[in-house]
Amino acid sequence: MATIAAPRTSPLAQALRDTRAAAEHNPILNWLATVDHKKIGVLYGVSSFVFFCLGGIEALLMRAQLARPGANVLTADEFNRLFTMHGTTMVFLVVMPMSAAFFNLMIPLMIGARDVAFPRLNAFSYWTFLAGAIFLNASFFTRNIFGGELGAPDGGWFGYAPLNLRAFTPGHGMDFWALGLNILGIASLAGGFNFIVTILNMRAPGMTLFRMPVFVWMTLVTSFLIIFAMPVIAVALFELTFDRFFGANFFNPAAGGNPLLWQHMFWLFGHPGVYILILPAFGIISEILPTFSRKPLFGYPFVVFSGIAIGFMSWGVWVHHMYTTGLGTVANSAFGISTILIAVPTGVKVFNWMGTLWGGSIRFRAPMMFAIGTVAMFTIGGLSGVTHSMVPSDYQQQDTYYVVAHFHYVLFGGAIFGLFGGMYYWFPKFTGRFLNERWGHVHFWLMLIGFNLTFFPMHMSGLLGMPRRIYTYPSDYGWNLWNLMSSVGAFTIALSVLIFMINFLYSIRRGKEAGDDPWDARTLEWTIPSPPPHYNFAEIPVVHSRDEFWHRKYQEDAQGNVVPVIAGAAHAPEVAHGDGDGHGGAHGDGHGIHLPSPSFMPLIAALGFPFIAVGLIYDYALVPVGATLLIVGLYGWALEPATEEE
Amino acid sequence: MSDVIRRLRANAPRLVPALILLALVVLLLSGCETDTPQNTFAAEGEVARKQRDLFYWAMWPAIGVMILVIGGIIVMCLRFRERDPNSLPPRQLEGNTPLKLTWTVVPAIMLLALGVPMVAMIWDLGADPSPDAYVINIEAQRYSFSFIYPEIKDAKGNPLILDGLQDPHIPVGKQVAFHLKSNDVIHSFWIPRLGGKLDVVPNNDNVLWLKADKPDTFHGECAEYCGIDHATMKMLIHADAQEDFDKWANEELLQLNATPAPKPSKSASVTPTPAGSATIAPTPTATPQGTGG
Repeated sequence: MATIAAPRTSPLAQALRDTRAAAEHNPILNWLATVDHKKIGVLYGVSSFVFFCLGGIEALLMRAQLARPGANVLTADEFNRLFTMHGTTMVFLVVMPMSAAFFNLMIPLMIGARDVAFPRLNAFSYWTFLAGAIFLNASFFTRNIFGGELGAPDGGWFGYAPLNLRAFTPGHGMDFWALGLNILGIASLAGGFNFIVTILNMRAPGMTLFRMPVFVWMTLVTSFLIIFAMPVIAVALFELTFDRFFGANFFNPAAGGNPLLWQHMFWLFGHPGVYILILPAFGIISEILPTFSRKPLFGYPFVVFSGIAIGFMSWGVWVHHMYTTGLGTVANSAFGISTILIAVPTGVKVFNWMGTLWGGSIRFRAPMMFAIGTVAMFTIGGLSGVTHSMVPSDYQQQDTYYVVAHFHYVLFGGAIFGLFGGMYYWFPKFTGRFLNERWGHVHFWLMLIGFNLTFFPMHMSGLLGMPRRIYTYPSDYGWNLWNLMSSVGAFTIALSVLIFMINFLYSIRRGKEAGDDPWDARTLEWTIPSPPPHYNFAEIPVVHSRDEFWHRKYQEDAQGNVVPVIAGAAHAPEVAHGDGDGHGGAHGDGHGIHLPSPSFMPLIAALGFPFIAVGLIYDYALVPVGATLLIVGLYGWALEPATEEE
Repeated sequence: MSDVIRRLRANAPRLVPALILLALVVLLLSGCETDTPQNTFAAEGEVARKQRDLFYWAMWPAIGVMILVIGGIIVMCLRFRERDPNSLPPRQLEGNTPLKLTWTVVPAIMLLALGVPMVAMIWDLGADPSPDAYVINIEAQRYSFSFIYPEIKDAKGNPLILDGLQDPHIPVGKQVAFHLKSNDVIHSFWIPRLGGKLDVVPNNDNVLWLKADKPDTFHGECAEYCGIDHATMKMLIHADAQEDFDKWANEELLQLNATPAPKPSKSASVTPTPAGSATIAPTPTATPQGTGG
């Protein structure tokens, strides 16, 4: 391995080597040039949490405005921009990258690998995401924000045509939106391909597909959804960009364009998109529930196949976002039935999670609280989804707060609760310390109460006829109490998140020491030290069964009772020798394990995108600057050796 | 403090169903509130009533399943909690095929039971309005709905146009067919107590029919985000008995004939076309105009 790259002596090569050497020693450069999946995972996690706070503040401002009828906290214009940014942020800058953080942190550890398949592509994915995210939020400054004029897009996170055209949304907000989402799409695509290849090719010997942890399965399904869904919205966004910048007429009704074309493309991305948001959380709780019930996941093949089925079916339900657009009886009937049927695999998952609890010996640690909360809250969201999959009743509920209640039960009660569960669960693996257990429970109960207080009343305000996206409402419509409850609940959630943040910052230094396997868990990541060494596995493990680690610790006697494996007995862990990657000679201290060297090229390439986008909006002169960065980055990437010779 | 937390922790599983029950009671009570002018439960028309009944058909089983699942989770959490922290793991039950097949097939059948009346109602409500329906052309623009009455024409053949400043009237007891046309962006035409909404999409003219049971005043509003003042795009519709409606129409007609003929609206001459709601591939049926805003 060490001598694959031809020796280089040119000054350029020497300079490259010098910057890499600097990156090894300077802590800041080290993060900028890292290709270590764990560090990239941390970067993803921290960034998405910052955006979670931003999106949350946007929500709090809106709830302050809606707390009572006729309030003047925000103007109509500000409200519209904030709900656009809230939706866009929570979907693209929070749940998707936070899931990506878990993919990055966990997938190599769970499949017994030392890194992802394409470490530099991974870094490129993160930096592109960060560039797109900052670019999108820079739109707040497209107008004089200090003079009280909020910038930011104002066309809704769904950006419906023809409202998304210059004629109706002048200003640069929607320009930033269209270009920003395209940059984020590139980041998602890079990540999606990376994880498909990683999962399919880099599993430890013996880890067949049906021995993979469910989280790995759900990551695989999610990654496939990403690589198929992202191009659809990319096409729509390119068309929109051409309409806005170059006077094309894809969506312009005055020139015969059809506004419904936008909706079809947006939701053909958007519905698989919902499962891109929720399946990772399903994977996480499918790891937590067995660990803390102390028994295997009930019906593993059913959970896996229902995940795959959801992945396929998610492509055939997009019109349920469009029931009221007048597509006709045939389309509405067909998509009504397909939408009802997608509840079947979803229900299968819920029942199998309950089956996992059954007969268990349940330990109510903080991760488990969040996992159980996810199952319960997601169930409510799924069921309210069934009620408005019923096309004619949806004619009443579409675009009301009933729908807002529904998808927050799915995406907050499901995805966010699940992701928090993952944070409590894997925090000890990466820090060697526990998050404080008592404050974890306080966080959970406060968030559960705040969440239900916020979103359950929205079912009511919706059924009482309150439309979404209105910045104010009259006092005599019977909506006052429900909105006040929602606002109080929103601030309760904020308090719980604050508690989590304090807990996190405290525990990272002072938390109780956890050890390598604090939860008596079942999967490979717990076989290695906490925090994991940079090479993850000193010796690549050989996998003999699903829940490999559990089987190294316990066995079942003839009656099916569980007994511990005596240390040094027959089932001593086996490791792969000569795994074909030149690691055979590695010993426990990790000496001699070669990992990819740090590289600045992904960062340089990613920096090109915001330059191109800003150039398109303000001054074309910046476009070649961005293109140059991109090309230099990609060429340098292609030419520099992946691993530095020693 | 820690004592409070411990007590809360012990009682929390019991609090959850209590909270849900409370929410349900409040939910039912609020249905009886009088001042809820856009309450979708308080249906006063054939369409809204059918939609509400279909919603009940799905809502009650959904509440049943919710109580079953969440109740089940709580019961299992209490019953299977770990009692001895030093105990060995329990028996490693990996699954039970008949059970798994049951909870795949039974929900599928339950869900299809929802699908049958749903499809029937889609076709029922999606049918073209009856030939004797009273036709009103709706033109939506940011931020008002214009009501155009092709059956109330002055001597020169110009129809009555109510441009959002005057409250529109409709007759009760018969279908009113709203032909929806947008002059700018997508809007959604919604009068909750009469029936569900239908979008007003540029280049895709939809037809929505509604039927009011008895004379009353109905609140409606735009349900699709359409720009800065979307929240204020509201309407108040008076449903009159036929003779009152005719009287109102006559008064309007007199007024229309008395005033000098207004500049004909750009689109006032467009004849109603029953396209839209029953077509699958939307085709532009009207000359697009007024999109330059």
